[in-house]
Amino acid sequence: MNVMPSVSNQSNPAAETTEETRVSESAAMISIEGLKRSFPTPDGKSETEIFGDVWFKVAEGEFVTLIGHSGCGKTTLLNILAGLDTATDGVIIADGHEIIGPSLDRAVVFQTHALLPWMTAMENIAFAVKSRWPDWSKEKIREHCQKYLDLVHLTGSEDKKPSQLSGGMKQRVGIARAFSIEPKILLMDEPFSALDALTRGSLQDELLSICRSTGQTVFMITHDIDEALLLADRVVLMTNGPQARVCEILENTLPKTRTRSDMHTHDNYYPMRNHLIEFLVNRSKQFKEEISSSSYNPKAPPVVRPSAQ
Amino acid sequence: MSNKVKLQALMVSLVLFAVFVAGWHVWVEAQKGPAVDMDPEYAALMGITAKGGSAMPGPLEVGEAIWGHIINPFYDNGPNDKGIGIQLAYSIARVLTGFFLACIVAIPLGFFIGISPIFQRAVDPFIQVLKPVSPLAWMPLALYTIKDSDMSSIFVIFICSIWPMLINTVFGVAGVRKEWLNVAKTLEVSRSRMAWNVILPAAAPTILTGMRISIGIAWLVIVAAEMLVGGTGIGYFVWNEWNNLSITGVITAIFFIGVIGMCLDFILAQATRLVEYAE
Amino acid sequence: MGALSDPFDPNSILWQGCPCGLHSSMWEHQRAAVAEAEAEALDSRYYCVNSKKANSPAYDDRLPGGAPIAEAAQGEDIPSWENREEVVSRLVDNVVMKSLFPTDMSRRAFLRTVGASTAIAAVSQFIPLDEVKAKVIDATGPLEKSKLNVGFVPITCATPIIMAHPLGFYKKYGLDVDVIKTAGWAVSRDKSLSGEYDAAHMLTPMPLAITAGSGSVAKPWTMPAIENINGQAITLHNKHKDKQDPKLWKGFTFAVPFEYSMHNFLLRYYVAEAGLDPDKDIQIRVLPPPEMVANLRAENVDGYLSPDPFNQRAVYDGVGFIYKLTKEIWPGHPCCAFAASQQFIDENPNTFLALFKSIIDATAYSSNQANRKEISKAIAPKNYLNQPETVIEQVLTGRFADGLGKVRNEPDRIDFDPFPWHSMGVWILTQMKRWGYLEGDVNYKALAEQVYLATDAADVMKAVGQTPPDATYASYEIMGKTFDPMKPEEYVESFAIKRT
Repeated sequence: MNVMPSVSNQSNPAAETTEETRVSESAAMISIEGLKRSFPTPDGKSETEIFGDVWFKVAEGEFVTLIGHSGCGKTTLLNILAGLDTATDGVIIADGHEIIGPSLDRAVVFQTHALLPWMTAMENIAFAVKSRWPDWSKEKIREHCQKYLDLVHLTGSEDKKPSQLSGGMKQRVGIARAFSIEPKILLMDEPFSALDALTRGSLQDELLSICRSTGQTVFMITHDIDEALLLADRVVLMTNGPQARVCEILENTLPKTRTRSDMHTHDNYYPMRNHLIEFLVNRSKQFKEEISSSSYNPKAPPVVRPSAQ
Repeated sequence: MSNKVKLQALMVSLVLFAVFVAGWHVWVEAQKGPAVDMDPEYAALMGITAKGGSAMPGPLEVGEAIWGHIINPFYDNGPNDKGIGIQLAYSIARVLTGFFLACIVAIPLGFFIGISPIFQRAVDPFIQVLKPVSPLAWMPLALYTIKDSDMSSIFVIFICSIWPMLINTVFGVAGVRKEWLNVAKTLEVSRSRMAWNVILPAAAPTILTGMRISIGIAWLVIVAAEMLVGGTGIGYFVWNEWNNLSITGVITAIFFIGVIGMCLDFILAQATRLVEYAE
Repeated sequence: MGALSDPFDPNSILWQGCPCGLHSSMWEHQRAAVAEAEAEALDSRYYCVNSKKANSPAYDDRLPGGAPIAEAAQGEDIPSWENREEVVSRLVDNVVMKSLFPTDMSRRAFLRTVGASTAIAAVSQFIPLDEVKAKVIDATGPLEKSKLNVGFVPITCATPIIMAHPLGFYKKYGLDVDVIKTAGWAVSRDKSLSGEYDAAHMLTPMPLAITAGSGSVAKPWTMPAIENINGQAITLHNKHKDKQDPKLWKGFTFAVPFEYSMHNFLLRYYVAEAGLDPDKDIQIRVLPPPEMVANLRAENVDGYLSPDPFNQRAVYDGVGFIYKLTKEIWPGHPCCAFAASQQFIDENPNTFLALFKSIIDATAYSSNQANRKEISKAIAPKNYLNQPETVIEQVLTGRFADGLGKVRNEPDRIDFDPFPWHSMGVWILTQMKRWGYLEGDVNYKALAEQVYLATDAADVMKAVGQTPPDATYASYEIMGKTFDPMKPEEYVESFAIKRT
């Protein structure tokens, strides 16, 4: 296991509770324990640590986003979660099992939608469904796919190739594909970053409503503060790389019923937003000093709940 | 392209053709020198060029010769004189046999090399050395080892077709977008489904492009190979006409070689369009 | 007269020797008779023409498909070759009778005394003729294969091999032969080595070179018959009309059809006699015959020593002129060959024999001047030589335009004669040795005798009613220099310009 950092395990005065105490409340769907990823330097003589000593958990039915600047290893972390990359050190336990490779239990929505361009929207989803349930008949697969295409409002575009779909529609197919295999965990890698603001908004709304209705466990990477606040129950803040760390974990204090249109009217919206901006603009760079000056415990990063009170 | 543009292009093509034919006719007429004064007994033994004529045929003569072949393509006057249809069929059969054998070898082999970076590096020097070898340089080796000129021609086609296909397959397979592979991996797709449903369709346009290059080369090479070993085929036809120093026959053969080459390319181009995808 | 004459006929002539017993062979006997009858000197071709004249009306009237065996003057009964059993039966009778009687005279005396039927009964008492015949028929057996591929390079030298097809000589001996046009001798050799061709048109030096392993893998090869004698020429570009002395050729580029060719050796011999070193003073390139005219037109070469019709074709197209016919260098020189591998002969003895006979037969037919026009017409089309008929006719009839404005008449411009003289093989080997194609000690006679099947050729010639010479070595005079086949090494040494 990981080498424990020489920081004492006492509670952070800035936080009201710790990660450890909070997650014990419900079963963890994902438990990231001491995760580290390093790459060899170009000369091959030494290694560069992208991130290390990452500890946090995602509860069942929870929507967690990870926010941080480019280069902090967000995508790498998600790839390790997906089983597409392996950690240099540490483990991830997903649904009680250590992740050793990709699994149909963890569906991924890729940043670039990653649709197979020679297949129609329907075929792209059917490809996934057939992987999940190889014994299903053609009709059953088609019916199942249609359900998810309808869910993302793509009824009528079943037989279009990705090149005939707009960027938003493509990502809808990507989302439908991920949901169609009914995974235990949905992993999303900045799924809306390539879309224009209007499209992004409507997709966020759709995603939110699907997740609320299905109780899907989601882990999503983003660098968009509003997106994080709208979608996430908790936001994991990652400092800049190399040697990125989990700085703290923000609990969303907005009501569960928040929508994109009313979110900013809530009292807690600006404190949280400001906290995140402050983090991204300043603290993410200065975190090294923060660690040394405080009693930071990587196993239990501080939890913050910024509010108007 | 709009119909109007197509029509205009066709008109320009026809004008170009007419200019070419007219230029050809004028040039051939200009070649004809003054009649040489000769003893009639001696002249009876001489050919037309010796008497001031030109061996270069005009467009009418060539057109007539081509038409003669078109209306009677399958005559058979013995092993050394067959209709152009039969000769072309021999050549096409050889090209297709060699080409399909090359497909059978190059595509699976390229596939395995393409998915393995180690193999890619290991095999690369061999490909680089063998690729630039003129296919005809293999002919003596083939004749000696295979001991059959027909099989040797097929082997030469095989060996010249294999490189573009192999290289393109390796390139296509190695160049499959990582995210497509990742999608398949996260779906726990089996190896065979990965190969057939992801890698192959992804690499197909590149592979087909390689095949198109290959068939073009194969068609170029078969003419040369058949000129070398003789017997049958359009290359033999050219050689036989050349043997008789018949420029008309050679131009006729060039015309047919061009048309068939165009058809082969067209077929592969259509096949490429079938597997092409836009991203 | 020969192996198929009825041995029980007291009037037939059975012996290899002569009927009067004064000469060792029919040939000598007839030569003596001719010498007496005609004061005329022997033809420059040494043999054959004279013997034929004395022999029988044979070839002059005979057409293929007709009675194949020359009818003897006395109209004796000779079985048709189509009836194999009858032929074998007759051969066995002949062998038995020959072994029983020391001379033909004693046989005939015996038969006249006792009568044929008594003789047969008497002989059968101690030799079971019928049994022997049956055994021999079984032993010779039918044709191992009747469908054959014979390669040829489209030049007039190949006339007998080619015309045997349209004029039905192969069919006559029960063979279904495809004569296949070949791009050049290297291909002809490779296709022969690979077994695609059962037999092929080659150049006389090639079987020697293949057997010796010079220029290819060594494989025992045989040359049962020569195709043609003479028939080549040195052609020069029209621009060299003023350079009719070989001493002026320094720096010229010449083409020959193949390294192991009489063309190469004759050209080398010719320029060397004029004091030019063929490796230093001129350049010799190998070009396939069909490409020679085009190269001459393009002035890539100054001239060539090549097979016809490409000399005549250069004249016909107004590109060059015929400087010298090769018969003016060495009258009666061999050129092209009918060749087969030893393996083919060993595996298909009967087929080979039939093929051999058709070639010998066709060669004799080609040799007859009266048939040349008909042959020209038969071999000019696309399936064979693919040349204008007048070009072929000028080559074969010897009445041709020389490119200098004259019509020449040289009936023996090309001739056809199958007998593979061992001395010719030795001469070729001396030239291969002279120019460095063979190194070390060469056993000239052994190699020539192994490859040139003179004895077999003589047998087959006799069987089809021709008369071969009784010697296999002869001395030649080439450009005033005498060649003694018994002293090949001295001959090589005697040249001033050589590579050894």
